[in-house]
Amino acid sequence: MASLGTGTIPRRIGGALAAAGTIVLAAALVLWIVTSALREIDDLATASSDDVEWSLAQLDVEYLRLRLALSEAQRDPGALDAVRRRFDVFYSRIATLSSGEVYSELRADAAFDGALEEVRAFLDASIPAIDAGDAALRAATPDLAAAAADRTDDVRTLTLSGLATFVDMAETRREQVMETLSRMAALLLVLFAGLALLAFWLLRLNRLSASRARLIEQTGTRMRTIVETSLDAILVTDEAGRILESNRAARAIFGYSEEEARGADALSLLFPDEDPEAAREGALQFLESGRRPDPAEQQFELMGRSKDGRAFPVELSVDRAKGPDGPVYVSFIRDISRRKLAEEGLTEARDKALAGEKAKAEFLAVMSHEMRTPLNGLLGSIQLMRDTDLSQRQAGLVDTMHGTGNHLLGLINDVLDLSKYEAGKLTAETRVFDPARLLDGVVETTASLAAANGNALGWSWAGAPVGPLKGDARRLRQVLLNLVGNALKFTRGGAVEIEAEALGNDLLEIRVIDSGIGISPEDLGRIFQDFETVDSSYARQAGGTGLGLGIARRLVEIMGGRIGAESEPGEGSLFWVRLPMVAADQAVSGTPLAADAPGPGARPLSILLVEDNEINRFVAREMLQSDGHEVTEAVNGQAGVEWAERRRFDVILMDISMPVMDGQEAARRIRSGSGPCARTPIVAVTAHALPEEVARFREAGMEHSISKPIDRAALSRIMALLGDTSPEAAPATASLAALKDGTDPDVLRRLVAKFIGEMDAAVAVFPDEDDMGALAAQAHRQAGSCAAFGLGELRETLARIETEAKEGTRPDREIEALADLWTRIRPGFVAELESNAP
Amino acid sequence: MIQLLRAASLAAFALCAGPVSAQELPAPTGETLLTVTGAIARTNDEGAALFDRAMLEGLEPVTIETETIWTEGPQTFTGVSLARLMDELGGEGETLMATAINDYAVEIPAGDAVEGGAIVAYLNNGEPMSVRGKGPLWIVYPFDASPDYRTEAIYSRSIWQLDRIDVLP
Repeated sequence: MASLGTGTIPRRIGGALAAAGTIVLAAALVLWIVTSALREIDDLATASSDDVEWSLAQLDVEYLRLRLALSEAQRDPGALDAVRRRFDVFYSRIATLSSGEVYSELRADAAFDGALEEVRAFLDASIPAIDAGDAALRAATPDLAAAAADRTDDVRTLTLSGLATFVDMAETRREQVMETLSRMAALLLVLFAGLALLAFWLLRLNRLSASRARLIEQTGTRMRTIVETSLDAILVTDEAGRILESNRAARAIFGYSEEEARGADALSLLFPDEDPEAAREGALQFLESGRRPDPAEQQFELMGRSKDGRAFPVELSVDRAKGPDGPVYVSFIRDISRRKLAEEGLTEARDKALAGEKAKAEFLAVMSHEMRTPLNGLLGSIQLMRDTDLSQRQAGLVDTMHGTGNHLLGLINDVLDLSKYEAGKLTAETRVFDPARLLDGVVETTASLAAANGNALGWSWAGAPVGPLKGDARRLRQVLLNLVGNALKFTRGGAVEIEAEALGNDLLEIRVIDSGIGISPEDLGRIFQDFETVDSSYARQAGGTGLGLGIARRLVEIMGGRIGAESEPGEGSLFWVRLPMVAADQAVSGTPLAADAPGPGARPLSILLVEDNEINRFVAREMLQSDGHEVTEAVNGQAGVEWAERRRFDVILMDISMPVMDGQEAARRIRSGSGPCARTPIVAVTAHALPEEVARFREAGMEHSISKPIDRAALSRIMALLGDTSPEAAPATASLAALKDGTDPDVLRRLVAKFIGEMDAAVAVFPDEDDMGALAAQAHRQAGSCAAFGLGELRETLARIETEAKEGTRPDREIEALADLWTRIRPGFVAELESNAP
Repeated sequence: MIQLLRAASLAAFALCAGPVSAQELPAPTGETLLTVTGAIARTNDEGAALFDRAMLEGLEPVTIETETIWTEGPQTFTGVSLARLMDELGGEGETLMATAINDYAVEIPAGDAVEGGAIVAYLNNGEPMSVRGKGPLWIVYPFDASPDYRTEAIYSRSIWQLDRIDVLP
């Protein structure tokens, strides 16, 4: 079998050489045999011998006839002539034997030659007598007869040895002929064998080519079947893009008959929507350069159009092959319109699903907020109830209610945080904070829980203390509260220690170490996943959604840090948080407003409380009144607007979701109206805390907001702030120098003291202010005061804070600059105050 | 060339002698060397034609140069062509039965009697041949002229010591 393997070419050459050698050998053999046969034929054609046997036989006869004649002559003298004739004949015979070429081989035999010499000697000796006259011959006859008789043996020798030699000659000759014939026979055999081999070989070749032809035909048939049954259109085009062949699918998809398609330009007939120039420079570039398409070029998409005008997207797969008249391009074309439709459907479905997910998250967030509203009433009432006289049993029940309510609030906050995170609405803030103070706060907050479980709780620096840092203190605090809370929950009568340590210059690690029940190694890996409570008994023991650590992990990740845990069951656990540490250039100025103390400059205010929920209204009123404020209640937005038009209030607390008229609408009306409260600060009271909502509130004129459930401390703080910076206290617009010239020193002193107080408060409050709208408003007011005292630089800084805050970004840099500036300016103002001291 | 001229002149002589040929064959004057009998038109002795040396020499002598297997070296043979002899006698036979003094006899097809073919030689190397030297007459073929004359049949027809020819019809 001839295959395409590489080893066959040398084999073929070898075969050819062998065949050629065989042919040359056979030819040489034939030539040799024919030549020798021809020589043999030639030899046979020209006989070199007479009938030697006859001659030898005649020798005997003629010798006997001579002797007969001699004996006759002894009796009858008239027979002398016969003697002479017989002598001559015998002499002639001997002479012929002596000289004839044909007898040379006989003469080579010594016996023959010797005998011949004897006979010739006898004949020569007899000649004189024979040639003499009759009388002499007659007289010599008896002697001649006797001499002739003496030669009997010699003549016999001649005959016998001659015959023997002749027999030898004949034998040799026959052997030669036999040899030649044998050679010819052998050659014939060889030739026959060769011919037989040749015939066999030819037969095999014939069979082989027949089977190959059959195979090729089968392959061809199969190929045709494959091409014809393909669901994809198959086109064969020449180099110029003219259609040479098309299959059934191609005719069905494009609607052209074979005759219509053949010879037509494939691009313009089947893809008229494609710009030929662009296509030839783009997807069909290989066609232009007449090369084989690269693997990357073999598949592309085009827009096809059938004969009846239907346009549809197709996917092509093209490659080049050898054709009988130069290269051809074979294209598989697939109508992918259905696939495209399916793809579109999938995309749509995915978008819908994503939107659904988002809606779900939003719903969850809204629901959590809404759940906080009734909690607000519960917790507020419980706090107020503590202020009343209670029996010991009642006090215990109130504590339980308070704890349970707080727990519920924690769960809701967890879900809310998760929702916010999932909605992508959590981002880390960057503010200056003092880690020591933050850790103090964490310990303080969780002290009661530690005491309840009989745990010792404390924190310490491992290594050198770290000064002020920039970062998201609020989130870090949330994470730490979660970790410490967990540690306290899972530890009974043990210790929870918080360690803080600077790792190098840029990493802060805080470790929460407890001596509690610990976590098994297999649980360690999954505790930071959502909804994982390590053990159902823990969940019962400690309570929780299982979201705490998951949220902590997310918060840490948002801050660019990492969180992890190590534990030995029965020995305790260690949770660590590592955060990038950025040192702040300045000390944290001022002290944050204490949670339970009214802010500086707090004074009794007249407050309009707009709230539809009676319980919430009751709680808020109780809290405000207990701080000494005067409270006027309105049951909805409409009522609130009416109150605001009727008289002036220092502050308006505005609930958002209310019947008749909601908080936003009411605020808008108050602001747009010309009533006495048009410039009164309005605080939005809301369970909603999403940034876009805050923005909407600000738009409606509510620069401040407070979260439900209302925390008593937060409420006190914001009231103190607003009460101290109410618009009526704003200074006049004149320079400090001008003020000094024509102003009563007492009045000036009061103004300066007030300004110092305002600036101190601003520098202290700004860094912790979450509400950008409020920040902008405060900055705006303070900027007015600065202008009055001719403090251009301070005013400009405040103006920048206002601008940035309005745009929604936290102006940390400007706030720091403000603090710096104020630190420089403040001593001068203090000196002014002292110099004017009465 | 000489032979051809001689042959031509003899032919001319033969034509001129046409009427003479029709006449009785002259009787031999010397010793009779050859006796021809059988289907011949001309005779000189009771149905036989007898030839002496002179008569034979008078019939357009032909010379052949050739080797023979019975002699050593090249030989010249001079004699009368068998064809000329048959013409002379008006022989009409198919076969010539030739017989020698030693009683050897052989049949020669009439076809051998052609121009340039067998001759009845009476001179060997210019000398008359004795009986001891295969004489006096020897039918010789031009052996060297053609391989066809070197066959055993031809050798057997090359009869020496010839003295009789019987033309068989």
